[in-house]
Amino acid sequence: MIYFDNAATTAPYKEALGTYITVSEKYFYNTASIHQSGKDAAKLLEAARAQILDLMGLKTYDLVFTASATESNNIAIQSMLRRKKQFGSTILTSELEHPSIVNVLEAMKKDGFTVKYINTNEDGTVNLDHLKSLLDSDVVFVTVMALNNIIGSIQPIEEIIRMLKDYPKVHFHVDATQAIGKTDLNYNGVDTISISAHKFNGVKGIGGLFIRDLATMRPIQYGGGHEYNVRSGTVNLPGAVSMSKALRLTLGEAREVKERLSQFNEKIRTAVQDLEFIYLQPKAASYIVNMSFIGAKGEVVVNALSKRGIAVSTTSACASKLATLNETLLALNNEDKIIEGSIRISMGRHTTEDDVNKLITALREVYEELGDVLK
Amino acid sequence: MKFDHILIRYGELTLKTKNRKMFVNALRDRMMKALKQYDVQIKANRDRAYIVLNEEDPHEIIDKLTNISGILSMSPVVRLAKTDEAMKETALKFANEIEAGHTFKIEVKRADKQYHLDTYGVQQLLGNHVFENTSHLTVNVKNPDYKILAEIRPDAIYMYYETIKGLGGLPLGTGGKALLMLSGGIDSPVAGIDIMRRGVEIEAIHFHSPPYTSPQATDKVKALVDIMSERTGYDIKLHIVPFTELQTTLYDRIPDNLSMTSTRRIMLRIAEKLTKKIGGEAVVNGENLGQVASQTLTSMYAINEVTTLPVLRPLLTLEKNDIVKMAKKMGTYETSILPFEDCCTIFKPKAPKTKPSLESVKKFEDVVDFEPMIEKAMENIEVYMPSKKEKIEDDFSDLL
Repeated sequence: MIYFDNAATTAPYKEALGTYITVSEKYFYNTASIHQSGKDAAKLLEAARAQILDLMGLKTYDLVFTASATESNNIAIQSMLRRKKQFGSTILTSELEHPSIVNVLEAMKKDGFTVKYINTNEDGTVNLDHLKSLLDSDVVFVTVMALNNIIGSIQPIEEIIRMLKDYPKVHFHVDATQAIGKTDLNYNGVDTISISAHKFNGVKGIGGLFIRDLATMRPIQYGGGHEYNVRSGTVNLPGAVSMSKALRLTLGEAREVKERLSQFNEKIRTAVQDLEFIYLQPKAASYIVNMSFIGAKGEVVVNALSKRGIAVSTTSACASKLATLNETLLALNNEDKIIEGSIRISMGRHTTEDDVNKLITALREVYEELGDVLK
Repeated sequence: MKFDHILIRYGELTLKTKNRKMFVNALRDRMMKALKQYDVQIKANRDRAYIVLNEEDPHEIIDKLTNISGILSMSPVVRLAKTDEAMKETALKFANEIEAGHTFKIEVKRADKQYHLDTYGVQQLLGNHVFENTSHLTVNVKNPDYKILAEIRPDAIYMYYETIKGLGGLPLGTGGKALLMLSGGIDSPVAGIDIMRRGVEIEAIHFHSPPYTSPQATDKVKALVDIMSERTGYDIKLHIVPFTELQTTLYDRIPDNLSMTSTRRIMLRIAEKLTKKIGGEAVVNGENLGQVASQTLTSMYAINEVTTLPVLRPLLTLEKNDIVKMAKKMGTYETSILPFEDCCTIFKPKAPKTKPSLESVKKFEDVVDFEPMIEKAMENIEVYMPSKKEKIEDDFSDLL
């Protein structure tokens, strides 16, 4: 199987996996134990934490290890909104967010919160003028993802940080799950930031929440008080250390990978340009190509490619079992048939030129095969 | 703006006439130690010093120097050829970095009296140039938001617009040596750094009572010493005294409400011996008048009686809030508040006397011979040096 679904998950670095195994064997201890072995494990945890904060350029922040970006998003939203209720009840969010943001916000509506969506520009970025117009004294929470998982648009996070400086009571959350290694965003000034290791060639089951002011956080799930009493539960030390390694390796080769994938991206786009019933979403982050086979269903295209040994995805894997139209593509004012026929090709560090050539051949074959359906 | 140097202005040491060279050399050594991880050079002259940045970040360097005593203030500067054009260009670059709506002023210091324009002439030249080529700033000579400064010196022209306050005081190593009693709390690290600000070198003493106190409590004190050493550019030696035998004896033999006073007396006796051994001339502690039972005037009277050494208490009259602020600024606060029991808290009596009577304390102490136990504790002191710290992170480097 040639893998083009790196926005869904990635293959771990051998080194990150090696770390996971070594730590599981040598430092299986509980980081909260007070015996010497527990202390060594705790020191290793802190070394991993410090390295991640350093690599992210967030030395003044705290980092809480979680099991996933979904958990990080839930902690940030639920913890803050409980505190913020007395100050206001409006939440602003982009139309492009992942279900682990949107569905939490929608659930918060029954606690009396109002969710307002920020309009999207044609290129898939949030409309800053609209954001500005929505900011009133009732707004307590703004959440915008750093890099969209469907088409790869990179959001103007730094501009939003500057804009929100005038609104001190607003908590600004950024879901940076897709962005690690893909952009050079500076997150300093964001209140909370979510990441997940398996999106940048780390192992699954470990994520993180960067927190600017730890004192403002409350647990949403109670227990033994691990991770600054924000996220109880025995800490996943092998995961945390392995995430630290994956992050170091990812950022170390980020530029080189980005340049390589950008060339591949162009190559794929050029190769299907002459096909009348293929629609390409605008190019954004280099690793994602989102295209629609107009008239066909995305799922059919995915199956046809899968038969040829190529893995791609319809919209996002998390939502692709849902029958509703993708929200990101809707936000971009795409016609229904473009949304229905869309597939996401997402490359990664392992992607080779040979893979890309095979993909192109397969895309053209599938186009021929579907023939009459397309219109 | 890309700065190529940092200008270091000296504090009180410029007042010293005869020993100035010694003071300047001591300061240079301290700065070199604090900056050893950076690729910079230090040129320390008689009246000021320059740090050649070699592409390093000036604000990171300045941050490392804010707790080095003997520095009055620091400015990131650009060094220019001695031409009007170079000054004009730089003044404009500075101006363009200032946000719109602010006021500015040009200030000129002309140490090189040979320069072809006089002070007023240079001011006019630069002021007009900035004024004519920008529209976002206005001039305010009396109370400007920003001063753009040009110093014309014999070797070059230096320009800057930012001055960051230093710690002041005297360079470390010019004022003798003292022993700091380091408990692990918030106050004692602050007291230590404050004394060092006056040029006094320190070593530290800490008492531990395993297994009643945890290894984490000792690690915490080591971590504090690490931070203090890093911030001051001076390797502080830590003496860890095993106190269990003395602690349990005190607990057995001295009435509960006086045991705290006796404990402090024994600790001070050990501190005195160690001070003399290391060639020190005073003991330093973080006591703050009236903060707790052992720090009332009557307690100090009863405790201090065991030594003739000066006991320096730099925090004596400060407000706790201010001490906390200082600890935060020095970077010791977060470590100080880690919740590990030290030997004072484990054996803490229920109701220690705030006015212990020296006579009764002596009466109870007289029937126990503490001296052999003190000698034994002295012999078993464990020494820790921050620079010799085994780098546990290195063991992890394969994993991370």
